[in-house]
Amino acid sequence: MKQFTNFSRAVAAGALAVAMSTAAMASDSLNFPNLTYRTGPFAGTGTPIMNGQRDYMLMLNARDGGIGGMPVNYIECETGYNTNKGVECYEKTKGDALVTQPWSTGITLQVLPRTNVDRIPILAPGYGSSPMSDGNTFAWAYNPPVSYWDGAYMILDHIGGGDMSTLKGKKIALLHLDHPFGKEPIPLLEKLSELHGFELLTIPVGLKEMQNQSSQWLQIRRERPDNVVMWGWGAMNAGAITEAVKTRYPMDQFVGIWWSGSDADLQNVGAKAKGYKSISFNAPGNFPVLDDIREHVFSKGDSHIKSENDMDTIFYQRGIVISMILAEAAKTAQDNFGEKGISAEQLRWGLENLNITDARLEELGMAGMTPPLKTSCDDHTGHSGAWMLEWNGEEFVKASDLLVPSRELIKPLEEEKSAEYAQNNAPWPGRGDLACN
Amino acid sequence: METLYSVFIDPFVQMGQMPDFFMQVLWEGLVSGVLYALIALGFVLIFKSSRIFNFAQGIMVVFAALSLVGLHGFLMPVVGNEFVAAAIAMPLTLGIMYALAMSVERVVLRPLVGQPDIILFMATIGITMFLIGFGEFVFGGENKVMITEALGIPTGAIEFEPFGGFLLLEEKDVFAVVMAIVLVVSLLVFLNKSAMGRAIRALGDDHQAALSVGISLSTIWVLVWFIAGVIALATGIVWGARAGVSFALEVIAYKALPVLMLGGLESVSGAIIGGIAIGLLEKLFEIYWGQPLFGGNTETWFAFIFALIVLLFRPQGLFGEKIIERV
Repeated sequence: MKQFTNFSRAVAAGALAVAMSTAAMASDSLNFPNLTYRTGPFAGTGTPIMNGQRDYMLMLNARDGGIGGMPVNYIECETGYNTNKGVECYEKTKGDALVTQPWSTGITLQVLPRTNVDRIPILAPGYGSSPMSDGNTFAWAYNPPVSYWDGAYMILDHIGGGDMSTLKGKKIALLHLDHPFGKEPIPLLEKLSELHGFELLTIPVGLKEMQNQSSQWLQIRRERPDNVVMWGWGAMNAGAITEAVKTRYPMDQFVGIWWSGSDADLQNVGAKAKGYKSISFNAPGNFPVLDDIREHVFSKGDSHIKSENDMDTIFYQRGIVISMILAEAAKTAQDNFGEKGISAEQLRWGLENLNITDARLEELGMAGMTPPLKTSCDDHTGHSGAWMLEWNGEEFVKASDLLVPSRELIKPLEEEKSAEYAQNNAPWPGRGDLACN
Repeated sequence: METLYSVFIDPFVQMGQMPDFFMQVLWEGLVSGVLYALIALGFVLIFKSSRIFNFAQGIMVVFAALSLVGLHGFLMPVVGNEFVAAAIAMPLTLGIMYALAMSVERVVLRPLVGQPDIILFMATIGITMFLIGFGEFVFGGENKVMITEALGIPTGAIEFEPFGGFLLLEEKDVFAVVMAIVLVVSLLVFLNKSAMGRAIRALGDDHQAALSVGISLSTIWVLVWFIAGVIALATGIVWGARAGVSFALEVIAYKALPVLMLGGLESVSGAIIGGIAIGLLEKLFEIYWGQPLFGGNTETWFAFIFALIVLLFRPQGLFGEKIIERV
């Protein structure tokens, strides 16, 4: 019995020591977990983005000593894009996390209710559920700078040449991953189809069919849609582009969402995919921020990328933009609360009060890399717009001016679906005790 | 009435109205079937000789393809010619697959001789996990381009205009079909005509009897795992040429499961016929029934339902051996 008591004391002392050291660690750094997917069928999409995210945070640590002088503790937890593993990772990292980055619409939807209880903001840039934009319902969720519905609207607007009434009588196919992510744009596309009189044909691609989409492209050959819009992730993108080339589908009528525009996916077919388009909230280029990453991270051998050329890819640079949004939210919170060691709740405030202007982008060495972004209590996305990029046979190049989504059309749908979500998950806290200021 | 028309009349009307499209569907089904058969072959060979259901076959496809592409990338700056680099990378990759077979036999299988089948099956899951981690550590998780042209695989297309329409055969698909036929014929000749092949079959029939006549279990296991590695490499090359080389290739191994259910786990010819049957039937069903009636994506379940129906009538599969155990 005495032995048991001594053992209990030892365990209690150990636990206290761990708790104290964790608390000390928490106040000494900004803990930013990232639920990464560098492995599995979707690694092709994940790896370059996560490399960009990681390198930007390492660069801030090396160049500036972190954010506002507080080092960033960038933590990766590997999910393989698997929802169950994602939830495990969330639970494992939430202890002293200031934010969670779930990196899959499936994982985002699973952790969404938990973050209200744990009071940790979700940052899901360019993914997650579009109604998350409604900050009055989803106080802890953020999906800047554009949502999937924004993406769907901008793609159709571009196809219609800026006037969607020209789509009347056309047939538009949505080739999508048969997964929560792939189904995201369907409500908006159905609404646009009713409004503008085009026929919407949805073509799902199962996870096991990503590499062999001959059935889907036979359907496209039979149905002859005027345009194909792709909502693909990971290996689905390369599979679809290969089949499109094989089917001789006109590449200039084939457009993908921003996760269907990785350089690596196009390399497999190279020049044969010339004319393929993908919308993107980051434009390619040689920006000054890349020089800083080269100097402070890559040249010191701290980056995971194998070649300096990898820094020129769209997805690597998107990872940088995503980490920049998080870093700016942290800085906004630090400036507002006058504290270096901010809490998760303070970071939530920072995400809600982002104002990344052109001038600020210039200071960050990222002018023209992403549009200016402003969020608010009502608007957790910012809806800052995107560019259409085109594959020229070797690389993606900018092919449009900045496209912007229609708030007039999308906001009512966001409110309708977020109210539906709150009702289905009642009692849903909404903003709860969080003031809007 | 409309549903009955969609099920029993419309598909056949469409086949008649667009015969070129129907031929294209058959060709795509045949190509898919041949590719499924290739994956299933790897499973069958190992099961036949050792009664192990090799869960690692899918990741072996990825590992073999990544080794080939990785070695080619490494050799290119050294030799400066992509064809020479490919010519060196290919035997080196075969060497890696042989080393893998040796390691599996020495480290995993030999210590587990005599253990229940489920233990050996779990061991292959362990091999899968190891190869995923090791592969990602060495080659990274990014998509890679298969060295199709360096390997001399044609990349053009053959076009026909039957019935005023068009039929397009990708040359790399034709190559895949021809390669699969050559591989299968070689394998059948090897299994039926060579002493080693007969030894493999003897082990498959009865381990103890085979051991009692001096057949070396270790040698046969290394050989069989190496042949499964060669099949994995061939599969990796043809699938990789279609949509790039990535860890997503592992997923295609699951497509072999209904093929094995249908063809039987011990039958080489069952794997071939089962693979082709499933490839053709699932493609026809998806295009003429699945897309109009179910909104598409029936390929995820059709093959399993079809195989289950077959199992109701032939539990050992179409070509599997009926196992009668005395009680």
